[in-house]
Amino acid sequence: MSDQKPRKPAEPKPPRSCGWMAEFSNEHDLLVASRKVRDAGYTKTDAFTPFPVHGIDEALGIKPTILPFIVLCAGLTGLFTALLMQWWMNGVDYKYIISAKPFGITPASIPVGFELTILFSAFTSVFGMLGLNGLPRFSNAIFTNPRFDRATDDKFFLYVDSRDRYYNRDSVRELLGSTQPESLDEVLEDASPTTLPRPIWLASLLLVLAGLIPAAIVLNMRAGFSDLPRWHVFFDMDFQPKKKPQQTTTIFADGRSMRPQVEGTVARGQLTEQDPFYLGWDPDKKVSAIEGETKRFVSVQGVGQDATAGAASPTPQDSATPAQPPADGGATPMQPPADGGAAPALDLPWLERFPFEPSDADLKLGKTKFEIYCSACHGYSGYGDGLVSKRAASLLQDTWTPPTSLHADRVQKQPVGQIFHTISKGQGKMASYASSLTPKERWAIVLYVKALQRSRNAKIDDIPVEQRSNLTETK
Amino acid sequence: MSLHYDQETIELPRSWKSKASVLFAAGLALLVIGAVFSLFMPPSGKADEQSALRFVTHSYLANYMFVVTIALGALFFVLVQHVARAGWSSSIRRIAELLMSTLPFLAVLFVPIVVLLYANSNALYEWNVRDKVHSSVILSKIDAGYLTRNYFTLRALVYFSVWVFMGAVFFNLSRQQDSSGDVELTQKRQKWSGPFIMVFALSASFAAFDWVMSIDADWFSTIFGVYIFAAGMMAFFATMILICLSLQQAGKLQKLVTVEHYHDMGKFMFGFIMFWSYIAFSQLLLYWYANVPEETNWFRERLIDGWQYLAYGLIPLHFAIPFLGTISRHVRRHRAGLAFWAVWVLFAHWLDMTFLVIPNAGPVQMIPLVGHFLGGLGMLAIFIAFFLVRASNVPLVAVRDPRLPEALTYSNPIL
Repeated sequence: MSDQKPRKPAEPKPPRSCGWMAEFSNEHDLLVASRKVRDAGYTKTDAFTPFPVHGIDEALGIKPTILPFIVLCAGLTGLFTALLMQWWMNGVDYKYIISAKPFGITPASIPVGFELTILFSAFTSVFGMLGLNGLPRFSNAIFTNPRFDRATDDKFFLYVDSRDRYYNRDSVRELLGSTQPESLDEVLEDASPTTLPRPIWLASLLLVLAGLIPAAIVLNMRAGFSDLPRWHVFFDMDFQPKKKPQQTTTIFADGRSMRPQVEGTVARGQLTEQDPFYLGWDPDKKVSAIEGETKRFVSVQGVGQDATAGAASPTPQDSATPAQPPADGGATPMQPPADGGAAPALDLPWLERFPFEPSDADLKLGKTKFEIYCSACHGYSGYGDGLVSKRAASLLQDTWTPPTSLHADRVQKQPVGQIFHTISKGQGKMASYASSLTPKERWAIVLYVKALQRSRNAKIDDIPVEQRSNLTETK
Repeated sequence: MSLHYDQETIELPRSWKSKASVLFAAGLALLVIGAVFSLFMPPSGKADEQSALRFVTHSYLANYMFVVTIALGALFFVLVQHVARAGWSSSIRRIAELLMSTLPFLAVLFVPIVVLLYANSNALYEWNVRDKVHSSVILSKIDAGYLTRNYFTLRALVYFSVWVFMGAVFFNLSRQQDSSGDVELTQKRQKWSGPFIMVFALSASFAAFDWVMSIDADWFSTIFGVYIFAAGMMAFFATMILICLSLQQAGKLQKLVTVEHYHDMGKFMFGFIMFWSYIAFSQLLLYWYANVPEETNWFRERLIDGWQYLAYGLIPLHFAIPFLGTISRHVRRHRAGLAFWAVWVLFAHWLDMTFLVIPNAGPVQMIPLVGHFLGGLGMLAIFIAFFLVRASNVPLVAVRDPRLPEALTYSNPIL
C-alpha cells in the first residue's frame, strides 16, 4: 500500500531497560550466583542453561507449582465424566442389552473411566504447563543480546527482571557483578517493529487463497453440469477383462461364461455331497429329496403350503387376506414350529439308523459336545430350559420363542438323520452348527439326544443290575 | 573415589543383634497360638470341607506368602537396579540384598507344606489325594502329571534353588566389592541381571501358580503370577521404608539415606499400589465379562459366606485410600506420613494374601481369623529375625559401590 505513511525517523529515544543478564561458563557458578540473588530477595529471576541443571529450582527459590493439583482435578473430572457418560448412555438414554450385562455403571465402565482420566490429565498437564509458563511467547527482551545465543550451546545465564519488587538498577548490577560473571549486560527492550513484515503478510494471503482452490473446484463440480464422460482414474480396475456369473461370452459355443462341471469329474468338497454320513439322508433316493427341498423352499418363501400350486399363481390364502402386513408374512415361516407344527416338515429320505456302529466313546463325546453347544438353550436334560432360554424369556418376555423340548413327541419320532440335519443346517432361531462341530461330533450328539429321550421312558430293566444301586444313592 | 565413614554408623545396632533369637521364638510361639485359635471353630456337619486342619494349613500358606513375596520383591529390586544401572539406590541397595538373602531360610519354612503333601493330606491341596477329587478338570491335571506331589516338590526345589542361587551370586559379588571396590564386580552383576530377571519372572510366576492357585485347581488365571508379583513389590517397598526409618531412628545410616530416597521408595510404593490394582482389575474384568461358570467360581467363593466384606474391602483398603494417601509428594517426603502408609500397605498386603487363600477353607470364622492374624504377626517376626541374622556383621551399605557418590548427591526435581 503505497499511500501508507512512512514510519517517522524516530528521535533517538533510548530503549527501556528490562533487567540484567549475567553470563557464566559453568553450572556451578550459575548455582552459586542464583543462591546469592535468591538470598537477596529477588523473585522475578530466571536461569537459562543448555541442559537441565539439578537443583536450579531450589537455588532460584522457585516455589513448587500448583500444576499437580490442577492435573488431579482434571483427572477426577475425566473419571466422573466417563462414568456419568456411560451411566447416561447405557443406563438411561439407550438401554440396550450387551452380553446380558446390567445397565449403567459396571466393571466394564472402569477402562473407559481410566482412559478419560489419563486423557484429561495429559491435556491438562501440557496446556496447564504452557499456560502457567505464559507460553507461547514469540519474543523475549533477552533475545536482543547476541551473546544469549550461546544459552543453547555452552553458556549459562542468570536474569533479573526489572519488574521485581526490589529492583534497583544499580544494586542489581552490583550484586550480579559480585558473583564474577563472564559478562554482565543490561537487557534492553526489543525495539524491532511489531507489525508483520509485508512479504510474510503477502505470502500468507497467497497460501490461504491457494488453499481455497481445491474446495472451489469441488464446489463448482457439485453445482454445475458436464457433458464429458466420467473420468476413470484406474481404467483397468474399473473395467477388468474377466467374466462375472450369468454373463455371456463368445469364447464358448454355448455362449455361457459360467462353465458346467466336466463330465466324470469330482470337485473338491463334492465327495461329501453324496455320502449319507454327511447329509443325514440317502441321496440315492434323489427324486423325493428334490421334491422335499422344493416344498421347503416354497414354504420359506411364504407362497403357500401347496407346493404344486407353483410360484406364479397366487394362492387362495393370499387373495383372502390381501392387506396382510409383509412383516408378518415374512416372519411366520421363520418361527420354529410349535409341537405338532403347522409348517411342513422336511420330506427327505432320512436315515433311520446311524451310518456307523455307535460306541460308548461316541456317547461320551456326544455328552461333552451336547453340554458345550446345546445345553445353553436346550438345557442339560433337553427340556429347552437352558440358562440362555430362561434369561431370554425373563428379559424378552413374549418375543422370545423358547427352544424345542427334545422330549416333545415330534422330536421323539424324528429319525436320527433328521436330527443330524437339524444340527447341521439349523432350524428356526437355532443356527447351523456345521462350522463348530465335525460330522462325527454331530452324530455323537444325535446319539446322546436319543439316549436322553430313551432315559425319559426307561424302565428299571433297562439298567444293568450292577448299576442299579447307584440309583438309590443319588435319589 | 573412596568414602570416609564411621564403621559404627553402618552396622546393625548392637541391641538388635541379640533380638533375633527372641523374635524367632516369639514368632514360632505366635504361629502355634494362632493355630490353637482355629480349634475353636464351630462344629460343622461337613467335616470334609471345614476342619481345623484345613483352616490352619490355609492360614500358614497365606502367612507364608505374605513374607515370601516381600523377599522375592527384594530379589527383583536388586536385579532391576542393576539392569537399569541405577545410581540413586546404591546407598539403600544393601538393605534389599539382605532381605533377599533371607530366601534360604524361607525355603525351610516351606518344608511343612511338603510334609503335609507326603502325609497324604488333602487339607490344603485337594489334588493331593486323587481318590477324593470329583472335578474332572483337576483329575485331568493330575493325570497329566502336573499336579502330583513329587513333581510339585521338585518344582518348589527348582524355584528355591534358582532364587537362592541368584541372590547368593549378587550378594557375594556385592560383599566382595565392600573390600575391593572393584568396578568390574558391578559390571559383572549388570551383565547377569538381565538373564536373571527372565529366570525370576518365570519361576516366581510358576511358584504363584503352584502354591496359591492350585489350592483351587479348577480355576486358572494366566495373570496370577503377575498379581502376586505386583502385591509383593508393593509390600517390599513398604518393608524397605520401614527398615530404613527404623535404622535411622536408631542413629544409623544418617546421611546415607536421605529424604530423596524416601521420596523415591514412596513413589515406587505408590506406583505398585496402582499396578496391583491394575492387574487385579484386569483379572476381574475379563472373568466378569466372559461370565463362564468354571472361571467365575473362584470369585463367587470370595463373594459369599462373609468373604464379600473382605473382597469389597480390598478396593478401598488396598487401592483407593493408600492411593490417595500417597499421591502427594509432601507425604512421600514426610517420614512419619510415609511410615504410616507403609504400615497400612503391609497390612493391606496381608489382607490380600488372606483373600487369595483363606476363602478356600470355608466361610468366615472370626475366632480362627484372629488366630490367623496372630500367625501373620508371628511369620513377620520370624522374617525380621531372619533379616537380623543376615544383617549381623555385614555393613548396611555397599560401602565401596562405584555409584555411591551419585546416590548421596541425588535429588528429585521440584515439581
